[in-house]
Amino acid sequence: MRISTQLQPAYLLHQRPYRDTSLLLEIFTPEQGRFGLVARGARAPKSRNRGLLQLFQPLLLSWTGRAELGTLTGVEPNGTAPRLLGATLYSGFYLNELIMRLLQRLDPHPELFMAYAEALQGLQYATERPLRLFEKRLLETLGYGLMLDHEADTGEPVIAEGFYRYELETGPVAVTQGSVQRPGQGLCLQGSSLLSLAADQLEDAQSLSDCKRLMRAALGLYLGDRKLKTREVFAAMAAR
Amino acid sequence: MAHSPRIERLIEALRCLPGVGPKSAQRMTYQLLERDRAGGRRLAEALAEAMDKVGNCSRCRTLSEDAICGLCASSSRDAALLCVVESPADVAALEQSTGYRGQYFVLMGHLSPLDGIGPRELGLDQLESRLADGEVRELILATNPTVEGEATAHYIAEMARTRGVRATRIAHGVPLGGELEYIDGGTLSHAFAGRQEL
Repeated sequence: MRISTQLQPAYLLHQRPYRDTSLLLEIFTPEQGRFGLVARGARAPKSRNRGLLQLFQPLLLSWTGRAELGTLTGVEPNGTAPRLLGATLYSGFYLNELIMRLLQRLDPHPELFMAYAEALQGLQYATERPLRLFEKRLLETLGYGLMLDHEADTGEPVIAEGFYRYELETGPVAVTQGSVQRPGQGLCLQGSSLLSLAADQLEDAQSLSDCKRLMRAALGLYLGDRKLKTREVFAAMAAR
Repeated sequence: MAHSPRIERLIEALRCLPGVGPKSAQRMTYQLLERDRAGGRRLAEALAEAMDKVGNCSRCRTLSEDAICGLCASSSRDAALLCVVESPADVAALEQSTGYRGQYFVLMGHLSPLDGIGPRELGLDQLESRLADGEVRELILATNPTVEGEATAHYIAEMARTRGVRATRIAHGVPLGGELEYIDGGTLSHAFAGRQEL
């Protein structure tokens, strides 16, 4: 049986050429999660969808077919694309790679879709904060949400002035400030940074830099040995 | 099996061509075997020779059988202008229609971090050393108007900026003879944002 789906909100995560004039698309939707679609003739000179089928453009897609690989039957814009220029484009690629790597195919998470849309909008105005908030949502979606406002061992609330060593699988453990400076102590953060992330604030440089370290370590746990390619490109750019 | 093994093999081999499915591959095979053996031999020879001898130009990376391609070697091209494109087909398109008299640099792709294609795979270190030589005064970024093409153009523009080379981007917008009503929103908003003084 062929199922046809009409005008679902969607984003394009990745595309690659397929056959002569077609594209293989990796799609992200709230109801179906991440899956593949074939866009027949999308690369043909007369294709009307070429300008629309772009990364980061909010879309309404129609397709037929079941499970992992359907056929695209219609494309319409769902609002205008966020204006991502220059370096923020790479942040967009990073979000896409995170989803491709960590979210299983056909595992729907409407709230993550929302978070992705918000992050893309946010990237027009800020470079770091939208990324951190999305990473936090992604970990929650995967069932690996971070404990941020209570100590892992004692259950005491985290206080802004305190210093904490973050144990990735459990949560923050209070340490004295003196030991924070010593190397080899693992991931040490200020209490205020943890609370800032818990409240989705992240408006000061200290919390942003603390949370970047925290998220990198936490995501690293689930990404395994295979490094993020977007991060390698970032690094190559930064090294210039 | 319907065909003898050698015929079958030729049909299979022809299918690597774009737009050639099993049926057209079979027609081509019969055409060559029944009516045009000489043409088939010429094809085989030309193919083998091209596959062995065509490499990349060491200056602009385009396909070339010499170490330096004709365009790069030509003394009538202005070495102060360098146009960056994604593929050799783009060079051909620009050559046929623009009257551009500078030189080219062919990336052979675009930045695509998710496919593992980064600056190194596009030979950008080579482009950078060329900018460092100081001969290039204007770098024209003619990568495709896709998100990946924009990201590539941005990266190269940054590179040019640190080297003090002027970087320009080709305009994109409404196609000539097009009607605004039928143009997709992305193109139209781009064209609108990039409007020019008359």
